[in-house]
Amino acid sequence: MSKDKNMKKSNATLRQWKTALRSDHQLQAAIIGVVILLILVITAPLVAPFDPYVYGDDSLVGLGVNGHILGTNHMGQDVLSMVIYGVRTSLKVAVISALISGVLGVLVGGIGGYFGGKVDVVISETINVFLMIPTFFLILLIVALYGNSLTNVMIVIGITSWPGNAKLMRAQALSLRERIFVKSAIAMGESKGQILMKYILPNGIFPVVANTTRGMAGAILTEAALSFLGLGDPNVISWGQMIYSGKAYITTAWWVSGFGGIATILTVIIFTCWVTA
Amino acid sequence: MKHFIIRRIFSGLLTIFLVFALNFIIIKAAPGDPIKTLMGKDNNDPVLRAALEEKWGLNKPLGEQFLDYLGNALKGDLGTSIIYNTSVNETIAKKFMPTVLLGMLAALIALVIGTALGIYSAQHEGSLGDTLLSGVSYTLDAMPSFWLGLMLIILFSSRLGWLPTQGMIDVKAGYEGAEHVMDVLRHLVLPCGTLALITMPGYFRIAKSSVLQVSNEDFIMTLRATGMSEKKIFNKYVFRNAILPTVTLFGITMAFLLTGVTLVEIVFSWPGMGRLTLTAINQRDYPMLMGLYLVMSIAVCAVMILVDITYALFDPRIRYE
Repeated sequence: MSKDKNMKKSNATLRQWKTALRSDHQLQAAIIGVVILLILVITAPLVAPFDPYVYGDDSLVGLGVNGHILGTNHMGQDVLSMVIYGVRTSLKVAVISALISGVLGVLVGGIGGYFGGKVDVVISETINVFLMIPTFFLILLIVALYGNSLTNVMIVIGITSWPGNAKLMRAQALSLRERIFVKSAIAMGESKGQILMKYILPNGIFPVVANTTRGMAGAILTEAALSFLGLGDPNVISWGQMIYSGKAYITTAWWVSGFGGIATILTVIIFTCWVTA
Repeated sequence: MKHFIIRRIFSGLLTIFLVFALNFIIIKAAPGDPIKTLMGKDNNDPVLRAALEEKWGLNKPLGEQFLDYLGNALKGDLGTSIIYNTSVNETIAKKFMPTVLLGMLAALIALVIGTALGIYSAQHEGSLGDTLLSGVSYTLDAMPSFWLGLMLIILFSSRLGWLPTQGMIDVKAGYEGAEHVMDVLRHLVLPCGTLALITMPGYFRIAKSSVLQVSNEDFIMTLRATGMSEKKIFNKYVFRNAILPTVTLFGITMAFLLTGVTLVEIVFSWPGMGRLTLTAINQRDYPMLMGLYLVMSIAVCAVMILVDITYALFDPRIRYE
């Protein structure tokens, strides 16, 4: 493809994007949401009214008391600041685990779909088997036994959620390898590895990218669930951790668990809007 | 059809074997020493250690331990809990029914209500009701089950005082007969409601999109052109075709439902396998953990296979693929 054609194509997609952006409110909302989240990630120390790692004197005070807009938890930490710092944890978990699962899925699915034959039989059967395993329980087991650092949590979520991506990628590779440009690459004598890396993976990756965004939402919820079971990283401020620690005071101080949950829900909704838009 | 069933069962067995192996590898490779837990912190007597290792078979080579475990499991013996010193089978069996009761009831409620609302939304696409339902469905989809549970506890138990927050029965009252059933039902409302609400969006979405899709197919247009009543078209043609993906979803959500059940059980102190899991993890009770994971995996596989076979019965296109 010549450079000129490439330019034209990217212009066309840009224009498509612009019209889509103007007409689609869901996409607009999702983009604004993601931008806000990113700004919060970068400016958390500036935006947060208190340092959430500091244990203050007011414990379990209600909304608006002593400048704590959303109250404090049992250790006197400011809930609003915790919510703001929690964005960092959630996005970190979401991005890294989705990346791991995306890369694994693309490689496994791409190889299965492109090579076909016996390799594909083994790979697709493996994918099916892994899809049947109750994943959350596996994550629970691994995190409980190997320690609950944030790194472990991210890696485990990543390596247990690849089968969905692999299935998508495999289907893409299956259809791509029949396309003329791939066949001509074969005729030109390019090696299988080259074809896989240069043609199959880059062209088939888009559905996986979309699915990965869904995976990010899932990863945020899984991290929250692990924290709720007391298996989160105690050294990191996360929304799941807030829900977990607020549980004991749920009847007297609903705001600790309450706002942790609301932050989680809003973030997950932003990611889901992104996918469906 | 026979070929199809055999293949599904084969891949189910493969899954269960994989779960066995994964289980064994993960637990054996994990840090932490059950013998140390048993002996207590300050006790380091090598004779006691050797005796305990002998008793629990931990001194044998790994391969042999795996084969032992596999053999025993095939005989239906999952070993003895290191912490409670009771049979894993019996302990799990006691907790199995409450989990199934909670999970299955919630799944059925979610299936029926979610599908009904999805069909309503599809038939009234773009109406206020549809917009509202879709919004609620998005929100519920993003909601952690345990958080919803906690919020329902705040609302219905601590503020309104209508429903009990914990357990499956009122231990103090000691009801019997019909009163016992009513008591269990009262305790069931909140956990089951939470779980059903969390599972509903999936059914809602799939019912809505498949009804919309089938309604736009050419053969439906043809039926309309013949002047058949909308009601008849829907009941006889649209519904039958649109319900198929829901059947598949029922199978797929089984594993997801199990996660939900585990978390919700912990929130509401429901005496099922979820709570047992949490205690087993905290106590490093390896045989119990392996047993639990195995039972859950088998249950999920069995339901998935059953659903697949049901689906094939419904839809002949699947069988001949």
